[in-house]
Amino acid sequence: MEAFYVGLAEILEIEASKVSSELNLTELAWDSLAVISTIALVDDQFSVMLDGKALAQCQRVADIEALIAKEKAR
Amino acid sequence: MFARISAVVGYLPAGSLANSDLAALYPDWSEDKILRKTGIRERHIAKADETAADMATQAANRLFATGNTQREAIDFLIFCTQAPDYFLPTSACMIQHRLGLKTTCGAVDINLGCSGYVYGLALAKGLIESGSASRVLLLTADTYSKFIHPLDKSVRTLFGDGATATVVEGVQADRAQIGPFVFGTDGGGAENLIVRTGGLRHPRTAESARERADSSGNVRTDDNLFMDGPAIMTFTLATVPKAVAQLMAAAGTTLEETDLVILHQANAYMLEALRKKMNIPREKFIVHLENIGNTVSSTIPFALEGELSPEREGRGRRKAMLVGFGVGYSWAGTYVTI
Repeated sequence: MEAFYVGLAEILEIEASKVSSELNLTELAWDSLAVISTIALVDDQFSVMLDGKALAQCQRVADIEALIAKEKAR
Repeated sequence: MFARISAVVGYLPAGSLANSDLAALYPDWSEDKILRKTGIRERHIAKADETAADMATQAANRLFATGNTQREAIDFLIFCTQAPDYFLPTSACMIQHRLGLKTTCGAVDINLGCSGYVYGLALAKGLIESGSASRVLLLTADTYSKFIHPLDKSVRTLFGDGATATVVEGVQADRAQIGPFVFGTDGGGAENLIVRTGGLRHPRTAESARERADSSGNVRTDDNLFMDGPAIMTFTLATVPKAVAQLMAAAGTTLEETDLVILHQANAYMLEALRKKMNIPREKFIVHLENIGNTVSSTIPFALEGELSPEREGRGRRKAMLVGFGVGYSWAGTYVTI
């Protein structure tokens, strides 16, 4: 998870220490560019491709992690 | 007889759109953020009365002005654009006349976006190696700026206008100088990068001109360019690495034996994601968009123009992989010796 959080922090332009499962995305710049960059990050880190629409609806980092787990289980 | 690229010359319109102009319009995006995320500092923008055909004509005239290619020697013209002057006649026919090319010259338009240059090379090679033409002028030009809503940062930060002219000619050689090719099409992605109105399917109406804001705060109408960025990223990451693997297998070569990799210059975040996914060394990987942006079918030839510069003369031939991908969805890849 470590590298994933560092990547997310870069995308959201916040410090890596602030990223946790509970982080609220809706208060940050969780826009279409962030979603695009997260698709690439997740593909790189976990070798799964997330759906952009589902990702855009994520409210917390935990929601992204749930999407990753679901894709990995497929 | 083998087809070979013998010259590439670009043309950029005079108008420009800098990150400072864009940052003033989009409160959430600073000048610095736009550069960091897109890799683009500046885009060139065609004048209101300057069309893709005008720019392509300029690029071709510049190419002839170098003195290395004679107008009379061109016996086929291919023009790749998604912004033709008219439904009919064919833009390439008018360009033939404006350039003073001979009337025994063939001329066709091809309507493709970011994959268009590679398709154009495939057609040019086919014409030459079948003995149907000896010297093909391949022009690319687009003016996406005319389709883009000023308040849609998802596309306005990326696309720039521009045109290029390439000469493909038959030469005596011991092996192919262009090819092999791989192609791909998935029209299932048509809706994800589209200008919905203006053709015959959906005429422009007062309703289609109504402005709407999306969840990221971007404003557009149905008459404007729409890009579903996440869907395009997913398509690209899933498709391009496979196409590259297919191409290397078809060419019987490897990344190690490839001197240069020139992918369609979409934007910095997409290029970097692809580079990492395919483990392409930075020193072989061309990034050429900082001062021009994403110029659609012209990105690959603009990058090639930089690699064909006179300073490189006599330094030996290199094998470059070219891969275009995008609107359609459509993609294609090839190798060229330059």
